[in-house]
Amino acid sequence: MKQIVVYQEKCTACRECEVSCSFSHEGAFVPALSRIKVADFYEEQFYQPMVCVHCADAPCAAVCPTVAIQRQADGQIKVIDDRCIGCKMCLLACPFGVMGFSPDKGVAHNCDFCDGDPQCVQFCTPGALEFKDVVSAAAPAKQKAAAALGLPQT
Amino acid sequence: MSTKYVLIGNSAAALAAVDGIRKFDKQGEITIVNRETGPAYSRVALPYYVAGEMTLDDLLIRQKPDYQKIGVSLVENENVKAINASAKQVELESGKKVSYDKLLIATGSETIVPPIQGLSSIPHHYLWTLEDAIGMKKAAERAKTAVVIGGGFIGMLAAEALRKLKIKLTIVEMAPILLPQLLDEGAGNLFLKAVRDEGVTVKTGALVSAVAKKGDAIEVTLKSGETFTVDMAVVATGVRPHAAFLQSSGITLNKGVLVNEYLQTNQADVYAAGDVAETKDFLSADRSIYAIWPTAIDQGRAAGVNMTGKRQEYPGSLGMNVVELFNVTLAQLGRFREGPGDSVKMLSSKGSEESYRKVVVDKNGTLVGAVYVGDENGVAEMGVIHSAIKRREKWQGFKDGRQPQFTYGAVMHNVPRY
Repeated sequence: MKQIVVYQEKCTACRECEVSCSFSHEGAFVPALSRIKVADFYEEQFYQPMVCVHCADAPCAAVCPTVAIQRQADGQIKVIDDRCIGCKMCLLACPFGVMGFSPDKGVAHNCDFCDGDPQCVQFCTPGALEFKDVVSAAAPAKQKAAAALGLPQT
Repeated sequence: MSTKYVLIGNSAAALAAVDGIRKFDKQGEITIVNRETGPAYSRVALPYYVAGEMTLDDLLIRQKPDYQKIGVSLVENENVKAINASAKQVELESGKKVSYDKLLIATGSETIVPPIQGLSSIPHHYLWTLEDAIGMKKAAERAKTAVVIGGGFIGMLAAEALRKLKIKLTIVEMAPILLPQLLDEGAGNLFLKAVRDEGVTVKTGALVSAVAKKGDAIEVTLKSGETFTVDMAVVATGVRPHAAFLQSSGITLNKGVLVNEYLQTNQADVYAAGDVAETKDFLSADRSIYAIWPTAIDQGRAAGVNMTGKRQEYPGSLGMNVVELFNVTLAQLGRFREGPGDSVKMLSSKGSEESYRKVVVDKNGTLVGAVYVGDENGVAEMGVIHSAIKRREKWQGFKDGRQPQFTYGAVMHNVPRY
């Protein structure tokens, strides 16, 4: 599936991703409403953009009491607004803290890839974000690892 | 020959068990025996139906064809009378018998009827089943005032629903704070103020001793001697495992059905999950029952996997809850009241009167619990704390004086699988 890939070492914590996300979804430059968050690790001296990874086991979807969080055919984990009661259990279940909440709509939200054109990626000046097919992106590394282990390469 | 799976119950645990079974066994026959009628609904969403924000159809989390699609037969409106573990049969009250190879008890819990004098002589409402919610909604349409007996989770959700219908409320709670199973004293007091500020009468440290019909109204008498009248009464004094029908089954019961780390009872091929199951606790050596949706899902899925013959250990139950009531978001994780040897890390972010955040750390420095009151932004961080508790992370202090410090490794522990 296509995914937002993070190149952490390029992130400067400029937070353009946060404001572009909040503006495109909520119509306001409010980082707290952004679906991508830049976590800062001052001790380790780096920044980590955190965004929904549409996990295979999706704890947010598993815990949703109204089946409002569903996996789409393309693999994306999507919140169905009409079914969401705003209980926030998904926020409590997300281990990355990247499930968010729209106070105005009263529903949970996560990264929806902006209908195929993620605005955070568009506005990431340092190039720390990229929207690409992660299966093919991971393939060279997998093949290299397989070769190193003497396993057949697929 | 395909395996016959029988699941008693049709809510979170049973549905998750179906997922667990189907992960490894696509062919087995699955039968769900349900004492209610119709496909599964969301118990968590019932207050939203009462408040008029959801329809009955909205409450459904499965449709009839969903069962057929995955090969599940639904037996509706049937109470289980007994389980004959030696004959591997479930006996129904209708006289029918259902044979099983693997059985799951996922009967959930039932409401506790408090010993209040006169309760059976007045119309009163619970908020646990779909039928309860339908009855409460009808009564609420005619009521202008109501008493909610019990200020716990269900009581407060019922109160919130009635408040949305502009009903004048009195909440009576035995403990000194509301939501005593979710909040500590500090958080509870903050929340209590928020509820009272909304114009709700809250009587804490109070007990309803008697109720009586007075014309069309209900007279409520407190233990203190105080009386008042209301149009409708809601009872929300807790739930207990629905396990009484198992008394003569040979299945070991304590508060609930006792199960091991594989959700197995003492009887061969009989499992239990959800509110009815008494499982190991994640944080202590004790056994616990958390009648909450997430533990029902976790237990149900693990039980389903184990019923297929695979082995999946259940790591133990961890209390977790979150709710928004009276415009305040409240969340709780694990052991949020400090015990002997525990220490507390307090953090009240800006505007400390409106926000309360506490983290509990045990004597080994391991995170064991947290409680939060404030706006919704803090809940996402509680999610990170939740995963840190599950990984038995050590407390690492606050970064920038406000937010809990987690290492990069802690946050990125679950490497995403695509």
